[in-house]
Amino acid sequence: MNPINLKSLALFVLIVLAQVLIFNQMNLFGFINPMIYLLFLILYRFDQNQTLFIFMGFLTGYMIDIMSQTGGAHAIASLSVSYLRPFIIRNTFGITAELPKSFNSDLRTLNKSIFLVSFVFVHHLIYFFVLYFSWDAILLILKGTFLTTLFSLILILILTSFSRPTK
Amino acid sequence: MQRIINALVQFRNPIIYLFLMGISLFFLSSRSSFHQNKLEKFSLYFSSSLYDFSNSIDQYFNLKEKNQLLIEENSRLKSIALKANAPFLYDSFMGKSKRFPFKIINVNIIKNSFLNQRNYILIDQGSEDGIQPETGVITSNGILGIVKSVTKNHASIISILHQDLKINVRFKNRTAFGSMVWKGLDPVEFRIDDIVSSSNIELGDTIVTGGMSSFFPFGIPFGTITELDKDSDSGYFIVTAKLFQNPAQTYNAYVIDNNFKEEIELLNKEERK
Repeated sequence: MNPINLKSLALFVLIVLAQVLIFNQMNLFGFINPMIYLLFLILYRFDQNQTLFIFMGFLTGYMIDIMSQTGGAHAIASLSVSYLRPFIIRNTFGITAELPKSFNSDLRTLNKSIFLVSFVFVHHLIYFFVLYFSWDAILLILKGTFLTTLFSLILILILTSFSRPTK
Repeated sequence: MQRIINALVQFRNPIIYLFLMGISLFFLSSRSSFHQNKLEKFSLYFSSSLYDFSNSIDQYFNLKEKNQLLIEENSRLKSIALKANAPFLYDSFMGKSKRFPFKIINVNIIKNSFLNQRNYILIDQGSEDGIQPETGVITSNGILGIVKSVTKNHASIISILHQDLKINVRFKNRTAFGSMVWKGLDPVEFRIDDIVSSSNIELGDTIVTGGMSSFFPFGIPFGTITELDKDSDSGYFIVTAKLFQNPAQTYNAYVIDNNFKEEIELLNKEERK
């Protein structure tokens, strides 16, 4: 096992536990539970195996699902978002420009923030859509998506500033 | 095989994505009955529209078979309807074969005409299918003629558009009866002879078969009176009748075979002696 995978595994366990034990209990304003486990999917290196990444996205979501009794909503959302990640990367960091090796190694703030916002937003949209699963609840879905995205983004930004940039 | 594997490797990400998505949907539906219900509704909608589509194609290819079934059903219903029309001669005949001693075979018309004065019709079934000469032929809305000669697989019918063919007719709810002959021009216009002017018939009366021959059972309606004149010289009505259905434009018919035909013919013969 190479150091990158080992580090990823440690991060995985840590983030899942943090999500389940801390952030799922927050209930800000009664319903906002920021999802910081997306950090794991964001920090995962961009140049690694995409197939493995899809599996990891599924596994992350499923772990959260098992521990927070949400059926498959997290799994579906994080699976979709990890499948879509290359497209989001290409559209936010530019097609012609050299793709960064990981989220932290890039220095373009604007591109990074657009990537972050769209990644988290897509995930939350899918998550809330699956959670309510009805067109009648579209307002609830949008409300949940926007507010939770906001808080997730704040927390993810704080947490990314802790991690050291990888070279 | 190599190509299939190459394609699988090339599209491994979407395939894995869809596979895992299916698994998560399964988890979702097994955990929550709300989602299960929703997904079932969706799959019902999806599968029903799919089956609708395939069914419409299927039905197109089955049309011939369906037609055949419908024709068979029709002939069964026809026999029931004719049975119901048959007169209640004796109460004890109810349900017995004597009440409606006819057997019904449905046939397709393969040649028909109305341009001659003596027209014949060909049908696609013959002695192998149980068709016998000297049996009546009716359509869904009237009568067509009498079987003349039969070969193994075909039969020819004397059409009612034949100037020598006289058909015994009655009128619905009247006692008068006469015989009907084709006028020779319009395939739906017929003349009815031999009705004495003292009979109480009116314009618009329905014409039914008379039941006095072994060919047709009593009471098959097939036309109406359109013109009615009294001929003061002869003391008979001059009646013009119009058929419900153009015999030259029918494509399906029913051959009705009287089970007691031989008996009736025997009696007729003895009478003539």
